[in-house]
Amino acid sequence: MKAWRTWALAGAALGGLLAAGCQPGASRAACDAGKLCYERGNVSDPLTLDPAKSTTIGEQHILGDMFTPLVQYNAASEPVPGIATSWDTSADGLTWTFHLRESKWSDGAPLTSADFLFSLRRLMDPKLASEYAYLLYFIVNAEAINGGKMPLTALGVEAPDPRTLVIHLTHPIPYLLRVATHSTMYPVPKHIIDKYGEKWTDPNRWVSNGAYIIKSWTLGDRIHAVRNPNFYDAKSVCIDEVNFHPGSDAIAVERSVRRGELDSANDIQSNRISYLRQPDQIPDYVHVGTWLGTTFIGFNPAIPAFKDVRVRQALTMAIDRDFITQKLMRGGQKPAYTFVPPGVASFGQPKPPHWAGWSLERRQAEARRLLTEAGYTKDRPLKFELKMRNTNDPQLIYPAVQADWRAVGAKASLFPEESQIAYSDYSARNFQAADIAWIADYNDPMTFLYLMKSTTGPQNYSDYKNPAYDALMDKADHEVDLVKRGQYLVEAEHMAMEDATVSPLYFYVSKNLVSPKLTGWKDSLSDWHLTRYMCFAGHKAAEPFD
Amino acid sequence: MLRFLLRRLLIAIPTMFIVVTLAFFMMRAAPGSPFVNERHLSPEVEANVMAKYGMDRPLVVQYANYVGGVLHGDLGPSLKYKDKTVLRIISEGFPNSLLIGGMAMGIAVILGVSLGVIGALRQNGPADYTAMGVAVLGVCIPTFVTAPMLVLLFASNLGVLPTGGWPTATQPFSSAWRYFVLPVVVLSLPQIAIISRLTRAGMIEVLRSNYVRTARAKGLPEHSIVLRHALRGAILPLVSYLGPATAGVITGSLVVERIFSLPGIGKAFVASALMRDYTVVMGVVILYAGLILFLNLVADVLYAALDPRVRLS
Amino acid sequence: MESAVLKGRSLWDDARRRLLRNRAAVTSMVVLALLVVVAVVGPYLAPFPFDQINKNDVWMKPLTGGHLLGSDALGRDLLARLMIGLRVSLAVGVVATFVSLVIGVIWGAAAGYIGGRADEIMMRVVDILYSLPFIFFVILLMVTFGRNFILMFLAIGAVEWLTMARIVRGQTLSLKQREFIEAARAAGLSRRAIVARHIVPNLLGPVVVYVTLTIPGVILAESFLSFLGLGVQEPMTSLGSLISKGAQDMELAPWLLIFPSIVMVVTLMAFNFIGDGLRDAIDPKDR
Repeated sequence: MKAWRTWALAGAALGGLLAAGCQPGASRAACDAGKLCYERGNVSDPLTLDPAKSTTIGEQHILGDMFTPLVQYNAASEPVPGIATSWDTSADGLTWTFHLRESKWSDGAPLTSADFLFSLRRLMDPKLASEYAYLLYFIVNAEAINGGKMPLTALGVEAPDPRTLVIHLTHPIPYLLRVATHSTMYPVPKHIIDKYGEKWTDPNRWVSNGAYIIKSWTLGDRIHAVRNPNFYDAKSVCIDEVNFHPGSDAIAVERSVRRGELDSANDIQSNRISYLRQPDQIPDYVHVGTWLGTTFIGFNPAIPAFKDVRVRQALTMAIDRDFITQKLMRGGQKPAYTFVPPGVASFGQPKPPHWAGWSLERRQAEARRLLTEAGYTKDRPLKFELKMRNTNDPQLIYPAVQADWRAVGAKASLFPEESQIAYSDYSARNFQAADIAWIADYNDPMTFLYLMKSTTGPQNYSDYKNPAYDALMDKADHEVDLVKRGQYLVEAEHMAMEDATVSPLYFYVSKNLVSPKLTGWKDSLSDWHLTRYMCFAGHKAAEPFD
Repeated sequence: MLRFLLRRLLIAIPTMFIVVTLAFFMMRAAPGSPFVNERHLSPEVEANVMAKYGMDRPLVVQYANYVGGVLHGDLGPSLKYKDKTVLRIISEGFPNSLLIGGMAMGIAVILGVSLGVIGALRQNGPADYTAMGVAVLGVCIPTFVTAPMLVLLFASNLGVLPTGGWPTATQPFSSAWRYFVLPVVVLSLPQIAIISRLTRAGMIEVLRSNYVRTARAKGLPEHSIVLRHALRGAILPLVSYLGPATAGVITGSLVVERIFSLPGIGKAFVASALMRDYTVVMGVVILYAGLILFLNLVADVLYAALDPRVRLS
Repeated sequence: MESAVLKGRSLWDDARRRLLRNRAAVTSMVVLALLVVVAVVGPYLAPFPFDQINKNDVWMKPLTGGHLLGSDALGRDLLARLMIGLRVSLAVGVVATFVSLVIGVIWGAAAGYIGGRADEIMMRVVDILYSLPFIFFVILLMVTFGRNFILMFLAIGAVEWLTMARIVRGQTLSLKQREFIEAARAAGLSRRAIVARHIVPNLLGPVVVYVTLTIPGVILAESFLSFLGLGVQEPMTSLGSLISKGAQDMELAPWLLIFPSIVMVVTLMAFNFIGDGLRDAIDPKDR
């Protein structure tokens, strides 16, 4: 009897607790009264807040809000003036002159072209060991400086006066404005770095020139940023504070967005998209669009079987890409028969390999024939190991690829590893076949096609060595006419695809969950969404700094 | 007492030494490196990075340097989180883990002991069966099953608790507690189960013992017998369970911190091990080894204080 | 050997009688026997191989498309996968426990029997290992040596042997004082023979109890590793990895979480009830 009374009491207490929690919006993070706070889901914690050292997509989303480079993306991801108000190009395309606006760092110090000069030299400093410095190797002497063979001052960048910056290139770069939006081109505050050295990124003394400034960062919890009163365009900014919440578990993040704890998330588990789009779910939250990325299989040519083009072709043909994209990924990903994703700028009409239009039956029959021709039969089947990343999507698609290969008589075993470890194995050529994903660094076919140049080194995962391909790439590099350049690149890609040096599987899509309350979100190719362009329904920029 | 403490300290030193050594060499034996990503570093740049972290020297020298650093309280910089030191990462994450783990243990002890006592007093009655049923389920349903189901029920369907996350530093407890409920419940369930079983068994044994019989014979009231005499004897096995319980809560926190995306050190540990952030991994291992050693010591001292038959020597 | 058997018979008869009177334990034994049969034989009888991808059967509900328990995101039959997963989990449980048994019994019996300085050092080693945060080392092991099946057995086994060693040592110490050991020693048997013929058989009771309680612990440990992505790898599976995959998609395909969870819970409960029953049956305290 007594025991029952105890239980009843405990039950009542629990019920009371739950009732107390039952208030609308109860679980949204605390936000000061009168402020607009954007709770933003982000795929990961940043590994660093130093733009010169930044490598991950999660960092790019944060740093993009904190820094403004010479040229920046607008809400629709087109390059528009940032700190530079205008620019000129020399006739040979080798010299770019940027004219800077008058602007300040968040601590009030003036921002001049000397800051940009300092930032670029610092980026190329071998002591800084930036992983992305190679992106700007087209600047005169950059590669030599980064390799420690020349002094920093030899860099082909000049600051003739505080409002002018001149950049000298080794060859014409038609996509320079798009690269200029990248974090490697962000200015960093010289006066702060001179004082604190590598510790300048401490949130307690944060100085930057973007729309927001970082106030605090707890690992695994959030990055808290508030508006920068000294931002040159501060009066157009609507949202007062933005909190970046790291979350690598897309499904957990999805539940938070549904509950209104987060206003947006920049990943969705692919095969849940059709479910989320059902009318009784959250269809108006789902934003899926073309994104510039390709998943492909690389073949290590040190494995004798993979030296044979017939084997690579057979394996490439045998894969049922429609099953992968429609039944497994389900997010609108496109099957890939070529390498450069659709939507990439300055590219012609891609030419798929000759078999791309065949039915799966015909392709698999041809694959079987090619394998037999190459000497692999039922009694002596082709056997190899495919190394793969152990993240959600690869775990879903490679068992299917494995089954397709089994159907044409090739036996592959799967060997999953952490992404980072898998890539280090790929670079060391410690693999037979490899699952690789490549996301564009900037919107140009080069970011994809240079991977197969014979001079590229470790990232030419299949060690493709084709002088004809290299020649076409060189020709493209020195062609100022964009249409002609695009044609050369299409030819080059077609060559590599007929050689089946890699097997493209599918093209990526960007997958965002965005609360309908959040306004100003535009889907775009680069999947780039600056907080300064966003607002909440029923609000507009507060204009507090007139 | 002092001699006992000294002796424990003497054991702790080789233990910590083994911990550091094992962690160091296991981590280094792992394939991959913290510095390799999709974007490949040029050999020159990679050499620079290695030199920056002293990793260009022979492994034994690195080991000696690391141990030297640890002796001075320096756990080094994080190799992945380039802006943070290991101490910084620990000081950000560990208090949160401690808070959740401590609350879970507190609730587990209170509920577990109550359930165990009820079970022992009403042996084989409906209350006993209910209590033990709860206990068995608590042991047999893994945390990673309970956690998502509770999220689905209380957060997604009923909407009374957050799906995860952590309150801000300035948030008062009156609103912050909502974030703690589900993680603490999930973390404490297996412990409630184990503690209630231990208490029940200990209690039954004590109730049959001579001194309780004597107390009964003297006509002491039942609640006084239970609370003053029996319970004290019955929770002895609990005290020695303190060490393993800590280990259990730590293990559970690896799962719970991940599911509820809490900024704890357990989640950081798993992520660091996968990313080969050597220094963070070693720092966390050292921290937890120290914690477990410390709690074992506390358990021994408590045991001696509660049981007059045991003397520390 | 004979002497131990003769001495033990009545004790074991007693224990068996008590065990058979324990309804929960007997039911659990029947359930467990069924589960073992399903795990061993089931996959050969299943209509689908566990790793067969059925392109038109993605996320089929239970009882549709010939899938008794439904199918997963790749169109693989859940029943077939569940049976293989159960097999893997049971195998991990049994093998890892066996590893811990062998190490623990040898270490504990040796320490207890030799005694003196050797005992002190050996048990100090156990003490030191005890206070290591073991789960971290298991994680490090899995990270260092890849997700190797055999290694997982060894790693978990290597963690569990410590308790076993302590139990066995304690038993050995108390047995050492008994008369029949004295008698054997007087009869001129070597130390090794005494340990092997007299001490080890007499340890059987507590060891059997501990083993039945260790197996579910190991199964849980494996599923925990699988949850963290460090356990068995696709297309192979275990109860733990089935559950962690199922939990991801529980709103869309609840059967992928429910059925593996039921099997897991039933298996763990069966082991626990049998262990409890055995302890009550063997432990002389509750006689």
